[in-house]
Amino acid sequence: MSNEIRFNLNGKEVTYEGKATDRLLDALREYYHLTGVKCGCKEGECGACSVLMDGELANSCMVAMGRCEGSSIVTIEGFRETKRFEVIDKAYASVSAVQCGYCIPGMVLATEAILTKTPHPTLEEIRDGISGNLCRCTGYNAIVKAIQTAAKEGNGLW
Amino acid sequence: MVNGCMATSLKEALEARATKDMIPYGGGTDLMIEGKKDISYLFLNQVPEMTQIVMDDEYVRIGGACTFTQVLESDLVPALMKEAVAMIAAPAIRNTGTMAGNIGNGSAKADSVLIDFVADAQLVLGSTNGNRVVPIADFYKGRKELDLGRDELIVEILLPKTGLDNYYYKKVGARNALAISRISFAGVIKIENDTIKDIAIAFGAVADTVLRFKDLEKMMIGKTLEDAKQERKAFVEAYDKAINPTRGRVSAEYRKTVCLNLLNDFLDAKGI
Repeated sequence: MSNEIRFNLNGKEVTYEGKATDRLLDALREYYHLTGVKCGCKEGECGACSVLMDGELANSCMVAMGRCEGSSIVTIEGFRETKRFEVIDKAYASVSAVQCGYCIPGMVLATEAILTKTPHPTLEEIRDGISGNLCRCTGYNAIVKAIQTAAKEGNGLW
Repeated sequence: MVNGCMATSLKEALEARATKDMIPYGGGTDLMIEGKKDISYLFLNQVPEMTQIVMDDEYVRIGGACTFTQVLESDLVPALMKEAVAMIAAPAIRNTGTMAGNIGNGSAKADSVLIDFVADAQLVLGSTNGNRVVPIADFYKGRKELDLGRDELIVEILLPKTGLDNYYYKKVGARNALAISRISFAGVIKIENDTIKDIAIAFGAVADTVLRFKDLEKMMIGKTLEDAKQERKAFVEAYDKAINPTRGRVSAEYRKTVCLNLLNDFLDAKGI
C-alpha cells in the first residue's frame, strides 16, 4: 500500500508524504506554502484557519492529514480564482468590512459556505454561519452587511 | 499512510482496530487539540455503515461517524437531538465533529450524550467478534471510563423512533454561542388522558457522567397531573438530595441551584 496521502488541493491532485497525524493547517502553510490560511488558536475556536473540505467549512487546525485522503480541500488561494470570490471581494470592500485582515480568508470561506447552503440567508443564518470566525476589529456588523451585499449582488451565482 | 489507516468498509475498520494500536478518529475536533505525534489514527469517515442515518422498526440508527451537520440535516433524527446538536460549537466544528466522537470522548458535558441518556439510547459496539448492544447508561462507568474494548468501535447509536416529542431542553453556558455546557438539562414526558405514562430527566455537565435517576422518575409515572402537582415538592426535594455535583469551572452550589431551577421550569412547562 502506498504511504502517500492523496487528495485534491485547490483543484489539483496532490500527494502528501508526511504523517497522517500531521495537522492540515501546518501542511498547507509549511509544505504547500499556502499562507492565506492563518493560524490563530490551534483549537478550533477562531476560524482563522478555515478551509472548505468537500465543500463544507472546516477548521484546518483540527483536521489530520490522513482524514484528507480522497477529499477535496479549497483554501482562499484556490477560491480566489472563482467568480463568487469576485462578488464577495467587492462586497467586503464596498462596506469596509476588512480592517487588519487576519480573519478575512476564513470569513470569506465562511461566506461562501453560508451562500452555498442558503443563497438568500436571513440575518440569523448569517450570524450563525460566521459564529465560528472571530474578528477582533470590526465588531462584525460590517462583515454581516458584506455578506448581505454579496447575496444580493451575486444573485444566481449560488 | 504513515501513522494512520483510512478504512473504507466496516470490516476493514474492525480488523484494523483489532490488530493495530490505533485511535478511532471521528472528526478530530478533540483529538487534534491534544495533537499527539507518536500515535496512529484509524479514520472512519469513509466507512459506509458508520456514515449513514437509517430507520428500522424500532430505532433511528445513527452511524457513529455521522457528523453533527448530517444529524441536523436528517429528516429521521428526533427534534430533541437536533436542538441539542445545533448548540454544539459553530458550523465548522459541526461539519467535522461526529456522534461517536462526542460519546467516546467520555465527557459528561457532551451535548448529544445528554439526549442519549434521556432517550434511553443504545450503542452498537462492533468488533471482529461480532456486535454487542449496550444501553448508554451502562456504557459510562465513571469519569472518562467507558465500557469499550480495545478492539471495539462505536458503530451506531440507536435512538427510539417514538416517545421523544414532548420534551424540554436547556443548555446553560457562559454565552449564547460557542459555549461549553455549564449545565444542560433534558426532560421528556408522555402524558395520556391527563396521566403521566412516562417521564425521563437527565442532567449534563454536573458530575462525572450524565445523571439520570430512574428510581425518582417512578415517583411520577402513573400519576394524574393533579396528583403529580401534589407530589412535586417531594419530587424536587428527592432530586435535591440525589444530585451531588462536582466542582469544576463553576461551583457545586451553582450547579445544584441551576439543576433544580431547570427541573422546576420543566415541571412548570409541562403543567405539573
